[in-house]
Amino acid sequence: MELFVSEGNPHCLKVLSALEVTGVQCAVHYVNHEERVVPFLSRPALPALLLPSGEYLFSPNAICRYLFEVNGQESSEHSNQWLEWDATDLQPALLQALHVAVLQGKGSEVFQVLQGPVNVLDQSLSKGNLPYLTGEAVSVADIVLWAALYPVLSDSSLALGKCQLVAWFDRVAAIHSCQSAAQKVLQGKGLQGLKSYLQRQPAPQSNEGGECVV
Amino acid sequence: MALRELSSLEKYLRLKKPNKYITQGDKKVPVLQHNSGSPLVGLVTIACHLVKEAKRPELLGDSAESRAMVQQWLEYTVTKLNGYRKEDIKTILKDLNLYLQDKVYLAGNQFTLADPLMYFRIHPIILDLAVQEKEQYVNVTRWFDHIQHYPGVRHHLPPVVVLRNRIYPSTHH
Repeated sequence: MELFVSEGNPHCLKVLSALEVTGVQCAVHYVNHEERVVPFLSRPALPALLLPSGEYLFSPNAICRYLFEVNGQESSEHSNQWLEWDATDLQPALLQALHVAVLQGKGSEVFQVLQGPVNVLDQSLSKGNLPYLTGEAVSVADIVLWAALYPVLSDSSLALGKCQLVAWFDRVAAIHSCQSAAQKVLQGKGLQGLKSYLQRQPAPQSNEGGECVV
Repeated sequence: MALRELSSLEKYLRLKKPNKYITQGDKKVPVLQHNSGSPLVGLVTIACHLVKEAKRPELLGDSAESRAMVQQWLEYTVTKLNGYRKEDIKTILKDLNLYLQDKVYLAGNQFTLADPLMYFRIHPIILDLAVQEKEQYVNVTRWFDHIQHYPGVRHHLPPVVVLRNRIYPSTHH
């Protein structure tokens, strides 16, 4: 099994955290953002996991799920729901937020962009009154969402008034494996560590205008 | 769109009693209120739940690897094939065509939940393709034709004619 990642790519933080937390044995290769690892995809897609069968996984969430399952922690229905929400709701907003903060230098607008998804998370944590998203123990959902939000929430210049969310975020951040993965991806440079990755991404779709087929 | 897909999936799974769904938000995300526990939100989450309810766990993959592949293609379906731009269609078809070159189904040699859900979402794209384009993306159309003829899958969608014989000289490799 081989994992391909690149420095400064926020999606790679998810899989490196999952790898460290689960302790699954796997060779890790650091490659360029532009490296085409998955042979059938036209655009470079990292992270990528080469499975023992010779097939590639290119979805960071599917890779995380797989690492947890290999480690004997099959993802619950509740965890899966958070992973789907991350892919469909949080990621588009995050991409736009990172674009605004890092490439346009408008850090103050980040939480306006992220307000919707941040409220969903905060309300769910308040309602459940549990230390982690799906219960008393860390699940794949906590790792995936923590890693997704790490670049924006760890940046102290971006203040946020959501108590439950911040408490949960700090709880996951206290896990040593997560800190070590964050250091590998961001190299201690914070949001700026993502700049060269973001410059290579197509500009996020805005909500208005543009030709959209639904 | 999602509600019709779930209703077709329920029929495919032969679930006795159709579920009641509501949608939430601008994106009309499906929500299932069920007896045990909190409501389930999202097409993939609900679809996987229905498969379990129908006691067909093999549709989610029969190994950790195939389960991961199924989840990956389900995610691909609800992200890439939702609100895409017209210029993205070519990339999606090109990538899928290359991927399906040596595969019968999306997760390999076994029919899984990823096949009908991708079929539902890609249907309008395939319907719009000219004959020549169908030949260009020959692996996608072969897979598509296979799934639309798979017993019990095609419910709310009209069949798409796929020619088995090439009528244009093969120029794409």
